[in-house]
Amino acid sequence: MTSVPVPASEAPTAEPSGTKIGPVVIAFVVGSAVSIGLGVYGRLHTPTGYAVNIAGFSNGPAAKAFLASIVMALAILQIVTAMGIYGRIPLRGAWVSPLHRWSGRLAVLISVPVAVHCLYALGFQTYDGRVIAHSLFGCFFYGAFVFKMLILTRDDSPKWALPLAGGLVLSGLTALWITGVLYFLVA
Amino acid sequence: MKHRSPLVTLAAVAVAFIIMFTVNMLVSPPGGSSAEPAGPSTSAPAQQTTSAAATPSASTSESTEDKTFPNKIVYAGRTDDKSGAIAVAVLGDQAAAYFCDGRSIESWLRGTVQVADIALKSNDGATLQASLDGDHLKGTVKIKNDRSKFEIDEAKKPAGLYRARGSKTTIGWIVLEDGSQVGIQTAAADSAAAPELNPESPQVTANGESLDAKPINGDEDL
Repeated sequence: MTSVPVPASEAPTAEPSGTKIGPVVIAFVVGSAVSIGLGVYGRLHTPTGYAVNIAGFSNGPAAKAFLASIVMALAILQIVTAMGIYGRIPLRGAWVSPLHRWSGRLAVLISVPVAVHCLYALGFQTYDGRVIAHSLFGCFFYGAFVFKMLILTRDDSPKWALPLAGGLVLSGLTALWITGVLYFLVA
Repeated sequence: MKHRSPLVTLAAVAVAFIIMFTVNMLVSPPGGSSAEPAGPSTSAPAQQTTSAAATPSASTSESTEDKTFPNKIVYAGRTDDKSGAIAVAVLGDQAAAYFCDGRSIESWLRGTVQVADIALKSNDGATLQASLDGDHLKGTVKIKNDRSKFEIDEAKKPAGLYRARGSKTTIGWIVLEDGSQVGIQTAAADSAAAPELNPESPQVTANGESLDAKPINGDEDL
């Protein structure tokens, strides 16, 4: 029930009346719990130093770098299509939203073997700054993803919630890619 | 209005996680001890016999005759795919080798020399085969399912292969010709990058213990 007119450029859809913050808080708490759970598992589980290699690659790290880079590319597609959906760039059409959804699903599914290798074979490690950051961002990423999925289930969230969640997911992934793949390629 | 599809996505991702973990647990080598990528800490806890022989006299009989190993030599370098470093020490007809990625994967291997070929294996099933190719040592190391090729050269001191052992911690280092190091320290439960080694005064502290790093020769007992 806002009386202030919302500029069309800022909000393609008018702020729905009666937004609820409660579900966002719950989503945030659940996402945080996922992050913490992953971190605790990664810390307590003894790294095996070994995990199933994904077929067709010379070694584990190369396979992970390859898959993670596919995920990163899909994530860039994610932000482009998201900007289209929100009218920030001229990208319209019935295909934009499905493309956003399916590229996102594909991205997160491809990320799973990479993350499992990290968690199962390597664990949450703290022996240098890069590794601490990578471990933290890895846990953060899936928590942020859960947060975002839960927000998506409702239409009555405040309109900042979804972009915030999407931004957190993308930021986490970018940090992961930099501390993982870029380091692997450069070092 | 409520949407169900994000929950389906979440569930699919959770299932994917579970499947990957299950596959890993089924395929990983049995006997939880494989959890420690380090063979040595479990295999031979005894203090290593002090090999003072490892004095810099190193490459005395290092006449590069064709196609036979010098009596005493250490090779070191990175694998072709840069996944880790390898050092191979040869003494007489004995060879010892160490592979390590500087993060979590390592293996100590032992074997024998057959003219210009060496074949080594570790307690945890890793294998290494290599042959002399001129002055290079060329071969393949296989750790679990990961196979890496390498072509490495002689490592002259202070480059080479070092190890320190304490009651809790074992550390291996490969010091490369360019001075860079790749190493791992392994305590009962955990592997991590090794602390910096100064080959000139090889004392390090790990997990509260003060350890002496020693050069490793081809006849080293692992």
